[in-house]
Amino acid sequence: MTDYDAIVIGAGNGGLTAATALQRGGARTLLLERHNIPGGCATSFVRGEFEFEVALHQLSGLGTEKKPFIMRKIFADLGVMDKVEFIEEGELYRILVNDGVNPKLDVTLPASWSGIHKVLKEHFPAQSDSIDKFLKLCADISLESFMGVPRARKQKDEALLKSSCPNYIKYGQQDLKSVLDEFFDDEQIKTVLAAYWCYVGLPPSQINFIDLAVMLYCYGAFKPWHIVGGSQALSSALLESFLEAGGEVRFNCSVDKILTSDSLDKPTAVGVRTEFGEEISSEWVISNASSVLTYGELLDTPTMPKEIQQDFKSREIGTSAFCLYIGLDRTPEELGIKNASTFMCNTMDEELMHDKMSTMDAPVATMLTCYNVDDPSFAPPGKSQVSLLCLQYGEVWDSMAPEDYAQAKYKFADVLIDQAEKIFPGLRDSIEEIEVATPLTMMRYLNTPGGAIYGFRQNAQDSILYRKPYRSVDNLQVVGSWNGVGGFQPTYMAGPAIARIVLKTLKAKKEEVAHV
Amino acid sequence: MSNTSPQSDDILNSVTGFQEGMARKQQREETGTDKSEFKGKVANDIAKLHPKRLQLEVSQVIEDTASTKTYRLISTAGPLPPFQAGQYINLFVNIDGVETARPYAISSCPTQRDYYDLTVKLVDGGFVTRYLLDEVLAGQQFTATSPMGTFYHNPIFHGEDLVFLAGGSGGAPARSMIESVLNRGLNINFHLIYGNSYESDVIFKDLFRDLAQKHDNFTLTEVISRPTEGYEGLSGHLNADLITSLIGSAEGKTFYICGPTPFNEFCEAQLKTLGVKNKRIRIECNGPPKKPSCLENWPEVVSEEDEVTVKVQGKGEFKAKVGEPLLNSLERNGYFVENACRSGECSLCRVKVIEGEVFNPPEALLRKSDEQFGWVHSCVAFPTTDIEILY
Repeated sequence: MTDYDAIVIGAGNGGLTAATALQRGGARTLLLERHNIPGGCATSFVRGEFEFEVALHQLSGLGTEKKPFIMRKIFADLGVMDKVEFIEEGELYRILVNDGVNPKLDVTLPASWSGIHKVLKEHFPAQSDSIDKFLKLCADISLESFMGVPRARKQKDEALLKSSCPNYIKYGQQDLKSVLDEFFDDEQIKTVLAAYWCYVGLPPSQINFIDLAVMLYCYGAFKPWHIVGGSQALSSALLESFLEAGGEVRFNCSVDKILTSDSLDKPTAVGVRTEFGEEISSEWVISNASSVLTYGELLDTPTMPKEIQQDFKSREIGTSAFCLYIGLDRTPEELGIKNASTFMCNTMDEELMHDKMSTMDAPVATMLTCYNVDDPSFAPPGKSQVSLLCLQYGEVWDSMAPEDYAQAKYKFADVLIDQAEKIFPGLRDSIEEIEVATPLTMMRYLNTPGGAIYGFRQNAQDSILYRKPYRSVDNLQVVGSWNGVGGFQPTYMAGPAIARIVLKTLKAKKEEVAHV
Repeated sequence: MSNTSPQSDDILNSVTGFQEGMARKQQREETGTDKSEFKGKVANDIAKLHPKRLQLEVSQVIEDTASTKTYRLISTAGPLPPFQAGQYINLFVNIDGVETARPYAISSCPTQRDYYDLTVKLVDGGFVTRYLLDEVLAGQQFTATSPMGTFYHNPIFHGEDLVFLAGGSGGAPARSMIESVLNRGLNINFHLIYGNSYESDVIFKDLFRDLAQKHDNFTLTEVISRPTEGYEGLSGHLNADLITSLIGSAEGKTFYICGPTPFNEFCEAQLKTLGVKNKRIRIECNGPPKKPSCLENWPEVVSEEDEVTVKVQGKGEFKAKVGEPLLNSLERNGYFVENACRSGECSLCRVKVIEGEVFNPPEALLRKSDEQFGWVHSCVAFPTTDIEILY
């Protein structure tokens, strides 16, 4: 008998939800985490009077109590709904564009599907019809992709797909830029509508329209949310649920190797070796480490399986981020911060925004999230917690001499603060605590190539629609953004999905044994 | 099943753009890499800045004063990582079979990384300082964490007018910060107000005096609290009046405080009376509280000398004194818990309390959800009943 039914490597969102679903489903599960705390991205740290949210800006997929959406069921199934509290945000975002040429743009989209229509029409009355049509398409195609598309694919029924998902047939695999160009002839409204591209990490020309449509519709109809205590509170709640179900966890314990047996016709994962040299056996290994690390370094086979090499060749390492975590000794009102999420752009050219992400030039698009606008518990009375960030690829930091690192990060931080200061005067003078995270910081804590935060580049072809599950190693699964979609909701959903597969095979094996 | 033309029978082929997308993906397979170039790279890149452990050897022991020695440490495994002046490393030691550790500020300047200096002053009743000062000679090897901590000059908001209130061993990070400012030629005014008990026991006295003479932007003020007869310098404590008389207005200045805990608390209170805001006061943490029972919210019925049972889930149990930090009693009983700051700040030593109660002093910078789920920082947690923990 193996030591465990399943070993989960890494307690990020995917690892935590996989481990919890496995243990609650009856599999004896060991969770190994190289850091001292669960969460991966979904974590926090304390400086002075502030507990800083590291990564979650807006949780999607929750819906309201009256109009619940999928994440309520997922969290309930994971046993955490009574352990966490969610706070509804009032707005999707405010976007400010000042390119020095066109009139300044300042639009705030409320967290209401009808409200979004209204605000857009107020700002862009000439685009009124297009606004209705575009938003209707976003809603319709979202619903098609949740219901009709999976059903038709499951039944392998092309006719059903055509009849039930007409919008998906026409727009499902078009890039965002083409669709925006088709509907609108005003550059400003396109920039306003495309703002969430940063949650995917690639400009409108490189991402699927449907990725943006689903985000816009889901945040609009089902609201964006904060978690009381930050994403760390949810990570800790998941761990608690895992422990309550009898799961075992080890922190400060990284995995050196995934052990395989080659006694069958292909390598089969049979356990892991920890950094301390201990070998632990299991029926299944679920890796929440990047797939690049999992197959390229952890797997003990002499070479990476051909199938995976081939798959990796069509992938590119995704973006990281440069992020300032700032505690301010003034209130949001005093600083002129009216809503949680603000996008600040010096251009309407998303290609340029993306190009700058590969450089140390001043970014032309940044984001400021102020957590205590909607949830006062995020900062002491009279103070504020913000994160100020831009997306950035890791390579520009990789090549830096270690001794130059600290100065470089402060210099780049100054640029972001100077930019934000123009919109929120007094920001710098209010700093009480600040911590600077670069792509190298992301790399240190996430152990991902390039410090990538969303896995591989999430272009259209990165989608699972273009890929098949790996078959060259049995009883090994990668869970998380590197084997699916990045971001919070997708990675929370990935764990239970993987767990279902694993539990099914474990059950089948037990029945087989019982039969013999 | 072939992988060369996946999903050729996929119903998505009827979706506009899907076949073109598949063609693009296959085109990328021709030109992309298999990512083997990342093999080892992530670990190496991280280790350049933040190796998990340093392997060190004492190359030299320098006697600073009767109570203080500086240990010059070189690496026996690769270059030492960079650090910010004011940061510490946590030095692992084995004393009579007990594996423990203590954090020490690096006293040397970060502009050179051939070695780190650790300057260690004897602490009354100190288990580790006694061992280091009495027994450690050149050639001894140690393991340590890489440099850590948040006590350093942050150019984003600390400004260029810095005042360092140092007490005793606080001279160690002060030296690193001063030399860093001077060696890098930064446009910063640095005023060190250095409080010590005795004239004969001032660490880096000659070095600081020499630097102050050579550099206009470095001012040194020495203050002795227990002067000998005939001493002519400043004496007493670093109170608000003295600070004001030395620096004038506190406006726009950033203050660093580092010394024994009572010194830190005293100086902080003095600065508060001068109206200095939180953001202008940076205090180096300095170990667990020595007398936790004197703190607010300590359960009245419990004394520090009481004995409780600590059960470590799945591993064993032992008796411990209520007044001893949980991390220390774990170590004395052979349980290793990762740790670094040993002052409640870094959270590396967090453990979960499954049963029983512990006292968490204000030093414990816990996360909000820690309380809900029973996680504590064992370096500053005091078991006030029998407890069971998990880590």
